[in-house]
Amino acid sequence: MLSYADGLNTAARYAICILLGLLAGGGAAVQAVRQGFSDGTLASGPWETGKDFGSADASALVRARVALRGLLALPRSEAMYFTARTDSNGAALDGSCRYEIRGGRFDARWWSVTLYDRAGWLVPNPWHRHSVGSGAVPGESADAWSIAVAPAEQPGLWIPSTGAPQFDLTLRLYHPGSTLREAPQQSVMPEIRRLACGA
Amino acid sequence: MRRWLGPLAAGALVAAATWQATLVAAPFALMRVAMNRLGASGRVNAFTHGAPTRAESQFVVRPSPDLLYSTCVFDRSAGPVLVDVPAIPDHYWSVSIFDARTDVAAVRSDRDTHGAPARLALVAPGAATPAGYEAVPLEHARGIALIRILVSGEDDYHAVDPLRQLSNCRAG
Repeated sequence: MLSYADGLNTAARYAICILLGLLAGGGAAVQAVRQGFSDGTLASGPWETGKDFGSADASALVRARVALRGLLALPRSEAMYFTARTDSNGAALDGSCRYEIRGGRFDARWWSVTLYDRAGWLVPNPWHRHSVGSGAVPGESADAWSIAVAPAEQPGLWIPSTGAPQFDLTLRLYHPGSTLREAPQQSVMPEIRRLACGA
Repeated sequence: MRRWLGPLAAGALVAAATWQATLVAAPFALMRVAMNRLGASGRVNAFTHGAPTRAESQFVVRPSPDLLYSTCVFDRSAGPVLVDVPAIPDHYWSVSIFDARTDVAAVRSDRDTHGAPARLALVAPGAATPAGYEAVPLEHARGIALIRILVSGEDDYHAVDPLRQLSNCRAG
């Protein structure tokens, strides 16, 4: 007895396989683009940076990822973008926790740290505060600064995580020096320490 | 089973081609969405000077609240588009040109101009460049010119805003 599959004519077999090929190829591409921020290979602590934002030699996959996650991003010669999704111990950043980010000087002209939700959008908060930049750090603290990230108001430099169950932090470094551009994975990046969670 | 070998091979080929086609098309599609959003007013070849970024007013993912953005959706298909950005003293500022594929065709900051204004001509490859302008050859006709200015707060914004209003993006 012929099975059902054997009974299909040649055209139907081709039609099925081509349709599945379309779905699999398109689906896998969309998945691959959505999955990663970058190649993910250049990381220093929790901070990850893409290899070639906005440059013409980016692969099709990297270009598509950058277009989705950081459209209109600048090339490395102008600015570098590092994103942390976890604290320095590897735990996902959680909006109900208090964190301390500690860092020092960078090999760059200016820098800023900005909080986004997981989709890359600023999260509304009553203070309209979303970032802290090097311009806000007092001169005497430039070598050793500390920024609080917490759902409730904090003294000193502070970014609210109010209303963001999970979040990530983007560190921008403008006009990075050659050491940073060539070996970002060897640069000392800020530490993200979780202090306490819950109300 | 042998009758499935041909169809399976065809399916695999189609899958590989669709994978590549989707990846190649994605930046164009995302850029088109951004251009439509920015050019919603129908303004092409003109700068729109954005208000300081807030959570309620984000036109593209990961905007920086420390930067002021001015954007121009350009179309050089009818001839060169001229981009003029005045110097903003004592501030980081830059103008970058993104093509329809999201690639950066040019970035000029105050570091590059040594405090002078930036004057860019967006042209088709091989086309003549108007005098006094630096040529930026573009394979694709459409794209986005984006000015970034670092500001330190509300007062600084009010000081810088009249200067950036002098920027120009126009058919040459």
